[in-house]
Amino acid sequence: MSDPTTTVPSAATGAPFTAYREEVRPEWLDYNGHLNDASYAIVLTRAHELLLEHLGLSAAYRESHGASMFTVEMHLRYVAEVSAGQTLTASTLVVDADHKRLRLHSELYADGVPAATGECLYLHVDTAAGRTAPLPDDRQAAVDALREAHAGLPRPAHLGLGVGARP
Amino acid sequence: MSNEQASSGGRVTTPNEGRRADAWDDQAVIEAPLRLHQTVAPPEWMDYNDHMSESCFLLAFGDSADVFFRYIGIDEAYRAAGHSLYTSQTHLHHRQEVALGEPLVMTLQLLDHDRRRLHLYHEMRHGETGELVAMAEQLLVHVDTDAGRSSDLPGDLYAHVVAIRAAHAGLPTPAVVGHPIAIRHTR
Repeated sequence: MSDPTTTVPSAATGAPFTAYREEVRPEWLDYNGHLNDASYAIVLTRAHELLLEHLGLSAAYRESHGASMFTVEMHLRYVAEVSAGQTLTASTLVVDADHKRLRLHSELYADGVPAATGECLYLHVDTAAGRTAPLPDDRQAAVDALREAHAGLPRPAHLGLGVGARP
Repeated sequence: MSNEQASSGGRVTTPNEGRRADAWDDQAVIEAPLRLHQTVAPPEWMDYNDHMSESCFLLAFGDSADVFFRYIGIDEAYRAAGHSLYTSQTHLHHRQEVALGEPLVMTLQLLDHDRRRLHLYHEMRHGETGELVAMAEQLLVHVDTDAGRSSDLPGDLYAHVVAIRAAHAGLPTPAVVGHPIAIRHTR
């Protein structure tokens, strides 16, 4: 059991989701040899796809249930340039969720150094009907469990701020 | 998911890469908003579900921004001389999915600026129906790349920015501008 007085995240309070790890791919670089602006979105999407897979909401879910998590918004904050050969990792929080929406925030790192942050809002969509639909009960339970596990973790100061606003 | 991008020689390129910045014409009318770039969604932008993948919306907006940079005077030669415009933030909004071969038209509005920062708003519309497909709000910062910190735009480029902002002063501020991502709970 964790000491309830500690502020360090423990197994009891949950920890950020950190499954993502891969090396920068050459096709993600621009003419300057740096990770292209748009490629940060690829990295964020790949990190979040692993979390969605953990919740049973990945590409396989689309096939089996005819429904999918559709990205409606993405907010990237660029922190540092990233170069070939660096190893990318992510630390992801479930910030908020309801019966059909999921809000994720990730800190992205290159060789352990902050490179960017990215926040996404996903909408659960019935792909055949082409409209939003409630999550199935088992997926809702998985989403709620991770949201609750992350509820006590420290949040970045920029959450809830629009482009250009400073914490 | 597909991560193939518009690539040449195995890296990200833009359609105008290597094209010299335009000479500024003081007499030319400045469009409001600017209409600098259009494209047709190519096969390499499609994901496993045959819809345009998220990062490729950023590529398309980035290509439009690249034309904007050349319009105000920023090209490879300018960057090689030690200054550049870096993207500080991008907030992307998706409204419609995009299928292979659909025509896309981008517009660009200069919302605000100071000596070293530009606040931009992009729209992507379907080239035939005019339907709004996606929007992006961006904050860009002019940097001294050798010193590794922000720096004021040089006088001539700043004058171009001021002229564009004057031309865009009458445009309404789009509703999504300034809004953070949020889930509005109804209970």
